[in-house]
Amino acid sequence: MGRALMTEEIVVEAVGLTKEFRKFRSRPGLAGAFADLFARRYQVVRAVDRVDLVVRRGEMVGYLGPNGAGKSTTIRLLAGILVPTSGLLRVNGMVPWRERERFARTIGVVFGQRSQLWYDLAVRESFRLLQRIYRVPEEDFRRQYGFLAEALDLDPLLEVPVRHLSLGQRMRCELAAALLHDPPLLFLDEPTIGLDVVAKRRIRAFLRELNRRRGVTVLLTTHDLGDIEALCERAVILDRGRVIFDGPLAELRSGPGGSLEEVVHAIYQGQLQHGGGERGAASGLR
Amino acid sequence: MLHPAYVELARSRFLTLLAYRENFWTGIAVYIVYIGAYHFLWQAIYEGREALGGLTPAQMTSYLAVAWMARAFYFNHLDREIAAEIRDGRVAIELIRPYNYLAAKLAAALGEGVFRLVFFALPGMAVACALFPVRLPPAQVWPAFFLALFLSYWVNALVNVLTGLAAFFLLDNSGLMHARRVLVDLFSGLYLPLSFYPAWAREVLGFLPFQAIAYLPNLAFAGGLRGGALARALAVQALWIGVLALAAAALWRVAHRRLAVQGG
Amino acid sequence: MAGHLALAAHYLAQHLKARLAYRADLWAGLVSDLASQAASLVFILVVFEHVPALKGWSRDELIFIYGYFLVPFSIFNATSANLWNFAERYVVRGELDRVLTRPLNSLFQVLLETVEVESLLGGLGGVALMAWAGRRLALDVSWADLPLLLALTVGSVLVYNGIFVALASVAFWTDSRSGLIPLVWNLHVYGRYPVEIYDRWLRFLLTWVLPISFTAFYPATYLLDRAAWRSYALATPAVGLAVFALGLLAWNAGLRRYRGAGW
Repeated sequence: MGRALMTEEIVVEAVGLTKEFRKFRSRPGLAGAFADLFARRYQVVRAVDRVDLVVRRGEMVGYLGPNGAGKSTTIRLLAGILVPTSGLLRVNGMVPWRERERFARTIGVVFGQRSQLWYDLAVRESFRLLQRIYRVPEEDFRRQYGFLAEALDLDPLLEVPVRHLSLGQRMRCELAAALLHDPPLLFLDEPTIGLDVVAKRRIRAFLRELNRRRGVTVLLTTHDLGDIEALCERAVILDRGRVIFDGPLAELRSGPGGSLEEVVHAIYQGQLQHGGGERGAASGLR
Repeated sequence: MLHPAYVELARSRFLTLLAYRENFWTGIAVYIVYIGAYHFLWQAIYEGREALGGLTPAQMTSYLAVAWMARAFYFNHLDREIAAEIRDGRVAIELIRPYNYLAAKLAAALGEGVFRLVFFALPGMAVACALFPVRLPPAQVWPAFFLALFLSYWVNALVNVLTGLAAFFLLDNSGLMHARRVLVDLFSGLYLPLSFYPAWAREVLGFLPFQAIAYLPNLAFAGGLRGGALARALAVQALWIGVLALAAAALWRVAHRRLAVQGG
Repeated sequence: MAGHLALAAHYLAQHLKARLAYRADLWAGLVSDLASQAASLVFILVVFEHVPALKGWSRDELIFIYGYFLVPFSIFNATSANLWNFAERYVVRGELDRVLTRPLNSLFQVLLETVEVESLLGGLGGVALMAWAGRRLALDVSWADLPLLLALTVGSVLVYNGIFVALASVAFWTDSRSGLIPLVWNLHVYGRYPVEIYDRWLRFLLTWVLPISFTAFYPATYLLDRAAWRSYALATPAVGLAVFALGLLAWNAGLRRYRGAGW
């Protein structure tokens, strides 16, 4: 009964969400630094373009799109890292960037390409620091750590300095670090990038368990369609900042070509063909 | 004697730095900040006195300006480069090249020195002259000054080579390299002409190579060295270059043998 | 606030642990700090062999000022490493992402993510110099002065940090390190000598534009009992708060422009 009620609850709500970057070219050197203080030149690039998105509690949503489509920027907006240029955004009942510090307690974030942990410290110390940063009471911390340690087999890693961890080991620790404060919403930006098959399966199994048993809502970006097929029932496809598909995975699979990869490839290609020049110009700015 | 490879090394270092020449404007500004700080400080210290440590207030400002800008010329990170190459083993690769490792390092450093002279020290000196009452020496002093400056460059470079090579023998020589930098600045007379030190300290410093890096050329510039004293100063510099070069060569031989035995 | 302090202490303890694992770096840092302090002291000692006073300030008074200078300066240096490379590390490489996902003030995190513990020892040297010079000057220091001394020190640290937070924030607009950072850092040499040695314009600049004089000279004169500078000395905490507020303003404005690395 409670579960049915919970799925109705809206966790993420975005209307016309837009993020523009003003690209600035700095002049080198001291004279340049002085000159930059007075006169600047910009170029406007729209990374996220009027995105509408609703995510309900308990969903696992895969966020797809070719490189440079604006996936990471969307995740950063939802996570309160970036301030939107325009549009409405509510996540966990808050405006993320405006109440950033309060909001941050209610989410977990994992960037596959970047570590959340302290490079020189043992894993245990990183966890303890996070406990303090999130002000997790000792008892809650123990309970949550117990769950994570068992699911991710963390105990053998606790005394290892982060810099000595393999990528797969590090990723397990990153997931734990993002979940120590037991957030109801988890953002994952390419969580399986660079991992071998065994490590990937392990992470996917963990995420499934987290979602089914703990009811954690998960939003993930990935280039690995295997992640999406293993985890998500719903996919959102983004291209040049616009949402071009939002629906059940089954609907995608039933498209021409049969397999998910064929369909997604066709979608990417189609978009690339009639907008190729523009895309090239946009990525040339980077 | 001058192997073309060495000329090429010096040239390529010069060209590399040329790509970053904008960065040196900040360097000039920082050096001007220091010349300014010590200029005001010394003016207050003189407070109407005719001379201190054998220098008039005007000579002191000239001394300061030329001391910092000469440092802009002779300063380099030769020790850090050598230590880094020793630690990560690149030095073993250098050994198979058909040139002398230390000579190659010194050649590249000379390329850097020429760059620093043209894009850092000379424009910096022009700025210093515009901002502070620097008195340039009479024409007949210039050749001797530039000769002294050139020699001071080699003294400093060889001291750097020695501290860099220490990485062969010490587990970690970065503390030594840091200390070397501060000691060279202090004992070479960058902040404080050596004539200010008490007699006993002057005597000790007289036996050290640091005076040959800054004090002697700067004093020549500020007009504190004439005739026989100037010739003697140049001889002291040349002597130190000889001694330090021998020491560096000896240290390198020991290191080289060790490298051959341990295989790097 | 108390929570932040406890957390800062915890960060510090962790850094100490990490630093001790690389003892060679720690020693190198210590040696270079000590050597440059010794050089500054030698300068003062040698100069005063030749003159009895510097614009009315005695040798021991200058050493006292230098001792004070070391305390806020070393605290600032210990916590400012990330302001130096803020542009490359946090803006261009996008490490601010991680900072912004945590329920803590972002500037607080950036300042504490790298603490060069060994720099703090320079501050202890400064306290020792103040004690030594203070004794020779027979300064009348009571326990009641301690809270004020603490407030002055905090004020000086805030002046440094405020200026550097503002300079680091420039990276939000330009994506690159400001060439002004090394330039302004080196201005610290102007703070530790009596302002009387500078001309009118420079004095104005160092007091009201880039208030470097509040990082050492002005506050140090409080204990030296110089009536002429008393009001300046007592203004130090307020100046520190004002400069830091400006730095925060720049920081918060910059955060809204932060764009992260990649799309």
